[in-house]
Amino acid sequence: MAEVAARELPESIKPPDLIQGGEDFTSITNTVARVAEYKPPKGWYIAFGIAVSVLGVLLAMLGYLFWKGVGIWGNNQPVAWGWPIVNFVFWVGIGHAGTLISAVLFLFRQQWRTSINRFAEAMTIFAVMCAGLFPAIHVGRPWLAYWLFPIPNQMRMWPNFRSPLLWDVFAVSTYATVSLLFWYMGMVPDLATLRDRATKKLPRLLYGVFALGWTGSNRAWHRFERAYLLLAALATPLVLSVHSVVSFDFAVAQLPGWHTTIFPPYFVAGAIFSGFAMVITLMVPARQFFGLKNLVTMRHLENMCKVIMATGMMVGYAYGVEFFIAWYSGNKYEGFVFINRALGNYAWAYWTMVTCNVLLPQVFWFRKMRRNLVVMFVIAAFVNVGMWFERFVITVTSTSRDFLPSSWHYFTPTLFDAVILLGSFGLFFTFFLLFCRFLPTVAMAEVKTVLPEAHPGHHHQPAEVER
Amino acid sequence: MSLAATLLSGDKLQDVELTRRSSRVALLVGGLALAAAVLLGLNEGDHLRRFFHAYLVGYVFVLSIALGGLFFVIVQHLTNAHWSVTLRRLAEFTAISLPWVGALGLPLLYPLFTHHGVEEHGGLLWPWIHPHGEHAELIAGKRPWLNPTFFALRMLGYYAVWAALGIAFVRCSFQQDRTDDPAPTVRAKRWSAVGIIVFAITTTLAAFDLLMSLDPAWFSTIFGVYFFAGSVVAIFAWLILTALFMQRTGRMQRAVTVEHYHDLGKFLFAFVFFWGYIAFSQYMLMWYGDIPEETVWFAQRQTAAWMPVSWLLVAGHFVIPFAGLLSRHVKRRLTVLGFWAAWMLIMHWVDLYWLVVPGLDSEHLTFGLIEILTSAGLVGLFVAGLARIAGGRPLVPLNDPLLPECLEFQNI
Repeated sequence: MAEVAARELPESIKPPDLIQGGEDFTSITNTVARVAEYKPPKGWYIAFGIAVSVLGVLLAMLGYLFWKGVGIWGNNQPVAWGWPIVNFVFWVGIGHAGTLISAVLFLFRQQWRTSINRFAEAMTIFAVMCAGLFPAIHVGRPWLAYWLFPIPNQMRMWPNFRSPLLWDVFAVSTYATVSLLFWYMGMVPDLATLRDRATKKLPRLLYGVFALGWTGSNRAWHRFERAYLLLAALATPLVLSVHSVVSFDFAVAQLPGWHTTIFPPYFVAGAIFSGFAMVITLMVPARQFFGLKNLVTMRHLENMCKVIMATGMMVGYAYGVEFFIAWYSGNKYEGFVFINRALGNYAWAYWTMVTCNVLLPQVFWFRKMRRNLVVMFVIAAFVNVGMWFERFVITVTSTSRDFLPSSWHYFTPTLFDAVILLGSFGLFFTFFLLFCRFLPTVAMAEVKTVLPEAHPGHHHQPAEVER
Repeated sequence: MSLAATLLSGDKLQDVELTRRSSRVALLVGGLALAAAVLLGLNEGDHLRRFFHAYLVGYVFVLSIALGGLFFVIVQHLTNAHWSVTLRRLAEFTAISLPWVGALGLPLLYPLFTHHGVEEHGGLLWPWIHPHGEHAELIAGKRPWLNPTFFALRMLGYYAVWAALGIAFVRCSFQQDRTDDPAPTVRAKRWSAVGIIVFAITTTLAAFDLLMSLDPAWFSTIFGVYFFAGSVVAIFAWLILTALFMQRTGRMQRAVTVEHYHDLGKFLFAFVFFWGYIAFSQYMLMWYGDIPEETVWFAQRQTAAWMPVSWLLVAGHFVIPFAGLLSRHVKRRLTVLGFWAAWMLIMHWVDLYWLVVPGLDSEHLTFGLIEILTSAGLVGLFVAGLARIAGGRPLVPLNDPLLPECLEFQNI
């Protein structure tokens, strides 16, 4: 057995040391809890100030929107779905990384997820909040938005159950609920840690309330882990379902460019793609500011870059297959839509999308680029832009030139479209910065389980494998 | 001394005699079954039209297992997986059998290039070879892609790529058997990313060519993914069954444990679900869109004759195995898991049968000895090739650097 124990593996195949800098159980708790316990760096106040201001602008804009009506947007016939729907799909997509990391990577035993899952789950929830905003304000009379839900009423009026827009209501609300539960349940032990460390009364009370009386007893842990596994398994179909249903919004229509069968898996891949890009966008600065570099290492970031490259190519695969089948189908409308996308008056948007989503992520083939913070930050930003443009291309190109050339119309957004999109970032970052300030940003308890010390054979020579 | 010799001492990991003997038996049985099918096919008096439809079903069945094996091998390297090391060789055997599977496709050149049966049936297999009927003009417009010469060249190209991939990855693995230096495994890992891209493109186009073009007026962008999903179901079922076979015949006793079966079962379950998701997406969107040029394909499969097969797929390829494979208990009870693996392989065959044979006659359910014997014959020839490849070769990667991790992990 000696030669087995002594073997040296090359780095590319060696099971990695996920946590670096000699962090141990105590120091991990200190590193993570410190963020919530002490005053944040000045940068946090500046960022928070900006975020809240932008959120304020959003609220003002919404007030104006409710006062004036949706006519302030660029939406009109034939492009009835303009930026609000683009923004909705954009934000829902970003919300996908959370469940993928927490549930799917958990089931795949990808231990590197432990350092980033809390972060990604939080991001998911805030992104879904932003997403939920847009359909609600898009209905025109937002005070009646509750009609989206099938609420029994004396007029026996029901929403149209055959409409995928209604399925969206169920899919997104289920997703939001389960993501929230998953995020919160996973946080309970860490909240208890913050409770136990709190020195002031109010934090102790609040953390204590939300820690649900967690004792950390063996029995509590046992049940917690079973529940976590089950919740992960139940959340996994949601990774597929939400964005599939969102894709149905388009794909059930008979419109060329919308109606194509690859949409569900293609949307899911795109959602994971954009979600991971957003995690990198947030994680690169956050680990710097909050001193989490030993927990979120280069290895983690590199893995995320690889996921971005893989899902980016899946999206590219879908672009390619759509094009090929548009020709192969022999359907001239289908063919026209795709030629028009690539060469028509929205060609600039189409090529922005292809460049950002398919071409630029190819730099991640190089290990050096996957380990360069500036490069990955820039590429992730481009991916965010590209994925927004993908939804723009889908939504707008197909409708702006539909079957009837006399109604063709070039869509132009208004200033309000742009400001409301910007404002949604204010909403997102306000919550996100609050999360970074007051809650455990890294799953302390989970990270500890991937330390070598947590491994059963740590203090012994590797034992002969018994069967 | 190899890692396996240390970690798996006393385990029987190599067997020349039995694999050779099974190769001969499989060759004989497969050859006889196929010969009988040809005779029955000739007896139909349709210029072997029915036989070639049946042949395509059996042929794509073995092809999907081999391609699934190639996918499995590439993905294990790509993700640096350790759970699967001792199972990988079984998948490698199917991956490296791709040239042999390609040779099994040669008889399909006959329906591709012959003029027999054109007057009576408009051709023997792919209708675009001799465009006819109400969509003749539309189909003729696809001639730049759908023409026999280019089709044959494309097939040659796919097989060149698959064979190159299979040989490249498996050669790394065989080299690793002979050395302690992990360089071959590192090399396989380095090429895995490119490999998976090439695999995705070729498999998609092959699915369009072999199966989707059976109804050349019809199209579906998800079709490549649909075929891929079925292939992955097939390879996990195949791996479960071959591992069980090896163990029940006294080999690989310590190399494969219940933990490995549990993981295989999880993946089988996951891809049963994935197949259902893809199949639902394709069906639902076409049903909802209700455009005749798309729904005609499903309409052919919802005739009185074919509706039962469609329902069989819904139930047997998705609902029942979903419930059956859900429990942890089942995945660790090997006989039961083996039952579900066999079940899924049969359902995968039904899936391909459902894709191919309605094109022959959508008003009648064409199922009989010809279909059974052709597929049995092709599986026999496939197994003969596999057994020949496996003969005398180690059944697990002997020196894989991650072998200790593979034997250590547990599903907790």
